[in-house]
Amino acid sequence: MKPFDYFAPQTLSNAIELLTRYNGEARVVAGGTDLLLKLKAGTLAPQAVINIKRIPELQGLSEGFNSHLTLGALTTLEEIRRSPIVREQYPALAHAASTMASMQIRNLATVGGNLCNAAPSADLAPILIAFGSIAHVTGPNGDRMLPLEIFFVGPGVSDLKRGELLVSIEVPRPIGPATYLKCSPRRCMDIAVVGVGLVIHLDNNLCTDARVILGAVAPTPLRARRAEAELIGGPLNPDRIDRAAKIAAEESKPIDDMRGTAWYRRQMIEVLTRRGLQHLIVM
Amino acid sequence: MSSAIGQRQPKLDAPDKATGRTVYGHDVRLPGMLHGQSLYSRYPHARILNVDISRALKLPGVKAIITAADNPPTKFGYGKDNTPLKGDVVRSLRDEVAAVAAIDPDIAAEALELIEVEYEPLEALFDAAAALKDGAPLIHAERGTNRFSHFNYTHGDLEQGERDSDVIAEADYELPYVAHAALETSVVIASFDHRGHLTLYSTTQIPFLLQRDLSEALGLEGSDVRIIQTAIGGAFGRGLDIYPFEPIAALLARKAGQPVRLSFSRHEEFLAAPVRQPVKAHIRAGATRDGQITFRDVYALLDIGAYVSWGSVTPLVMMETTASLYRVPHVRFTADCVYTNNPITGAVRGYGNPQSTFWVETTMDRLAEALQLDPIDFRLRNANRPNEETPQGLKITSCGLKECLEAVAARADVEVGSWKMEVGKRVASKSPVSNLQSPTSNLKRGIGFASTLNVGGGARIYRSDGCGATVKIDDFGHVSLITGSTEIGQGSETVLAQIVAEVLGVKIEDINVLNSDTDVKPWDVGVHASRTTFIAGNAAQLAALDARQQVFETASQMLGVAPDQFAMRGGDVVTLSGDKSIELGKVARARHFRAGGQIISGEGFYDPPTQLVDKDSYKGNISAAYGFGAQMAEVEVDTETGHVRVLRLVCANDVGRAINPMAVEGQMEGGAQMGLGYALTEELIVKEGRVLNPDFHDYRLFTSADMPKLETIIVETDDPQGPFGAKGVGEMGGTPTAAAIANAIYDAIGVRLTTVPMTPERVLRALIEKEDCDTC
Amino acid sequence: MAKFHLTLTVNDETHELLIDPRRTLLNVLRNDLNLRGVHRGCDSGECGACTVLVNGSPISSCMRLAADCDGADVLTVEGVAANGELHPVQRALVDHGGIQCGFCTPGMIMASIALLKENPRPTEDEVRFSLAGNLCRCTGYKKIVEAVLSVAEAVKP
Repeated sequence: MKPFDYFAPQTLSNAIELLTRYNGEARVVAGGTDLLLKLKAGTLAPQAVINIKRIPELQGLSEGFNSHLTLGALTTLEEIRRSPIVREQYPALAHAASTMASMQIRNLATVGGNLCNAAPSADLAPILIAFGSIAHVTGPNGDRMLPLEIFFVGPGVSDLKRGELLVSIEVPRPIGPATYLKCSPRRCMDIAVVGVGLVIHLDNNLCTDARVILGAVAPTPLRARRAEAELIGGPLNPDRIDRAAKIAAEESKPIDDMRGTAWYRRQMIEVLTRRGLQHLIVM
Repeated sequence: MSSAIGQRQPKLDAPDKATGRTVYGHDVRLPGMLHGQSLYSRYPHARILNVDISRALKLPGVKAIITAADNPPTKFGYGKDNTPLKGDVVRSLRDEVAAVAAIDPDIAAEALELIEVEYEPLEALFDAAAALKDGAPLIHAERGTNRFSHFNYTHGDLEQGERDSDVIAEADYELPYVAHAALETSVVIASFDHRGHLTLYSTTQIPFLLQRDLSEALGLEGSDVRIIQTAIGGAFGRGLDIYPFEPIAALLARKAGQPVRLSFSRHEEFLAAPVRQPVKAHIRAGATRDGQITFRDVYALLDIGAYVSWGSVTPLVMMETTASLYRVPHVRFTADCVYTNNPITGAVRGYGNPQSTFWVETTMDRLAEALQLDPIDFRLRNANRPNEETPQGLKITSCGLKECLEAVAARADVEVGSWKMEVGKRVASKSPVSNLQSPTSNLKRGIGFASTLNVGGGARIYRSDGCGATVKIDDFGHVSLITGSTEIGQGSETVLAQIVAEVLGVKIEDINVLNSDTDVKPWDVGVHASRTTFIAGNAAQLAALDARQQVFETASQMLGVAPDQFAMRGGDVVTLSGDKSIELGKVARARHFRAGGQIISGEGFYDPPTQLVDKDSYKGNISAAYGFGAQMAEVEVDTETGHVRVLRLVCANDVGRAINPMAVEGQMEGGAQMGLGYALTEELIVKEGRVLNPDFHDYRLFTSADMPKLETIIVETDDPQGPFGAKGVGEMGGTPTAAAIANAIYDAIGVRLTTVPMTPERVLRALIEKEDCDTC
Repeated sequence: MAKFHLTLTVNDETHELLIDPRRTLLNVLRNDLNLRGVHRGCDSGECGACTVLVNGSPISSCMRLAADCDGADVLTVEGVAANGELHPVQRALVDHGGIQCGFCTPGMIMASIALLKENPRPTEDEVRFSLAGNLCRCTGYKKIVEAVLSVAEAVKP
């Protein structure tokens, strides 16, 4: 690890001021589970590390305005997994958190870190995007809200501008049943080979809305809009589900890596999308 | 007082381990200790043109830097082909070019970045077959060939075997690199005293061989090197040879004039520690209509990497499984061990046996299917039996293979002789909790079996296969067992203490086991080949008997009763008639608190009645006893994703006699976890000499959440030469697992896999290929 | 680089330390406070050997900057046995044969204590899921899981 200056600001404005002062050469540490790996490996060598854990506005989860769920950026994966509100109202989100890493890491890793790290395989991204979540960002030029769907720019790159911080994620009440499926060799501890987040809205058997979000098969979490279009407007019978699953696989843009080939990833998008939809219509 | 033998005795070292008191290699701190780090090569094969350490030397806190110029003249390693630092040529990305000792690890790391090395890349070889081709670049030019060794074993007449066969099975296998993945990474601390004598704190499994090898490598006398073994956080074969980091630590310590610790990061552990050698193998085997095996013909090509270590001797074990375990009248086993520019390979638990058992035992199922025989029945018809000598010359004494097979079959509710393989017969009854939401219609179940044979009474691969022991009894009646053997977590301390407790009739709490210092303990070959209970156990028993005789002689003088009229019970020496009794400590005191007194110190050295195999025919009785085992795996395969979930793994092992059944189960269960990983998740992915997954994210051990229901069955056959009838069990636990699972997958979905790990993607591909084939 | 003034309460004892902000909690516990029962198995949050409880929650101490723990209350394996008596989880691991090489043991104990505090009567599956981040290479986990369940069963429902 290269030397760095260390700060633990207690207010948002202080943190933003520090980020601005270091002009791109500072890194934020929240849970630290991604940052420390990079610092230890030497792939990151910032001049300053800013611990944001002491800033109250970023803490915890709460049910707020319009019954939205507010996930403070510092909400840990384990808090999400265990939260009674999340388990009851957003069980797919609690499940997504439970598939990640270990208890020890889930107690450190935060939702903000998982999203700002912007890994294509981030397990929380597909399901949060499927819920239509909004990212609340603050920075030197004030606050802005943007759909989480456009928060991701590329592998490891988010839309955060210099000096900006993710404050929270606003998660609307689900429009209908939701699920997150994950393909990985082991049940726990693995990074997703593919992930699929699904939400549908059914009106008398007619699908009036659907979100199909794919993880680990593109440079960013991918919204499979053609698959969604295939689902919307008709009854979710097996044929339609099969077609949508195939389309989702076509829409995915996976690569070969040591965790799986593009071929396998496409196969799994089709299988998991189909299974997830079949699961949702009986929920 | 109940017998100490057969007790579920908690490990003597467990309370200290549970409270964080145990001192592992990483915990040793010596005054003035420096931190060493090695600079590894940037190329898998290159000429070193220049190494410039001048900038690094100027970094404050750097105390010593060594390069090949500091190498002693002698080469080391099994093939005497390795040097601490590499001078002219690097042959692997794990080759050390320079090493630094500094006052803290960050400074050492910074210094490594300041060392400038100029390389001229050379054509590299990453494939063993390519390395054998004429005109291939030579990894070690002075050898004139990349073939390090060739094995050619035969018995019977292969052509006759072919003629006798009604069915033939044949397949190609490809098996990967596997890492030990001990939870503690490699670590060594080197310290010189003012006489120039070296003390090495080490996690080695072979303290006496390392003492010799290291002294040779450093140009010291053997007696100038003392090895102190710290508590060892897992070994599994990693510490069976000298590796460069050990002489590097010593050279740094000598140059700096201060103790130096060299401890691997996890990343480094995956890159630089020896790994299980990948193998490509071809097997052809036959049987008669009435279910008799006729012949087996195996060729194995092993990639041993850039330098030779014990991995190059694993064909000796592979040929045992090929030529024994069953009665096979005609056998040929040939193998080549080949240098490449890949990682170096060494010994890993099972030592060639997991690989050969995989191809032998999956081929057994192919033959059984061709014969339409129950695979258990087919195995039983051909199984080795007690008191037979195999054509290779293995003298089998006790043998519980039949009992093991029958036991696992019974747990599977399989009646031997009546079970027919029917692919896809079994289906899942309910969907498991999973991240895949698998519908039951996509889950197919299957069961599979496999057997194993392993040395269980030592393995003579050096001239000696011996171990020494001393049993000392102090003034208070406390017993010290000083044994040459090594505790690596397997529980040998406790088992040896149980043996001594049994002989001396004392409580196990009254025994202290000393086993960690070459200046104190007597010779032992090392902890390998599942040998410690058998060999060190026999030695401890001999030493305890010797001590007991001394006790009886003194008691005889004290009480005027003949020495053969005593027994030891409950910490006392008692007459057989039961009318007289003296406390053990009192006997000890009486023996030495007198003019011309003596101490009670019993000695034992046990070297089993075995042979080195003949260097041309490879025949001979390498071990004084053989362990046997069988496993039954029940799996559930997701036919759309290829995920294999093992629901149950039933493991039966013939261990002769379980001195500590809890420890025996621990060996079987831990072996099963390694076997499950080998079968389904573990592979060190090496591309162009580079390890792509040097971490636990992508080198996937089975976690507690992935484990199946494990059932262990201990079969006792009372070995005539084992201490209290015991044989070794350390390696058998994981040997047949991959084969049992592969056979179960076939039962479930009709696909035979010939590579491990059987990952979801590989299973799915094989299934799709089969379906394409079925419909074409 | 400025040193960081760290206040840390470890096993009920409060320490004031001046540290390099790069140091991890694992590193400070092992090297400054000599708590070598906290083991470094991977230094990347993948093996669980360095598990300690920070403010009651089990974390991988290798993945936490010590400075981030300023003011925190830390419990390590050295602090769980009371009055010379092994903690029930330690006792159970010893008695059930859940310890072989022992390198994973301290982390396994801390994770188990955290689990049982949260969920005094877990199912076998809950134990297996909660301990999934504690790798063990020796035991196959069976005796570890049995040990933890035996402690759970000893708790009155």
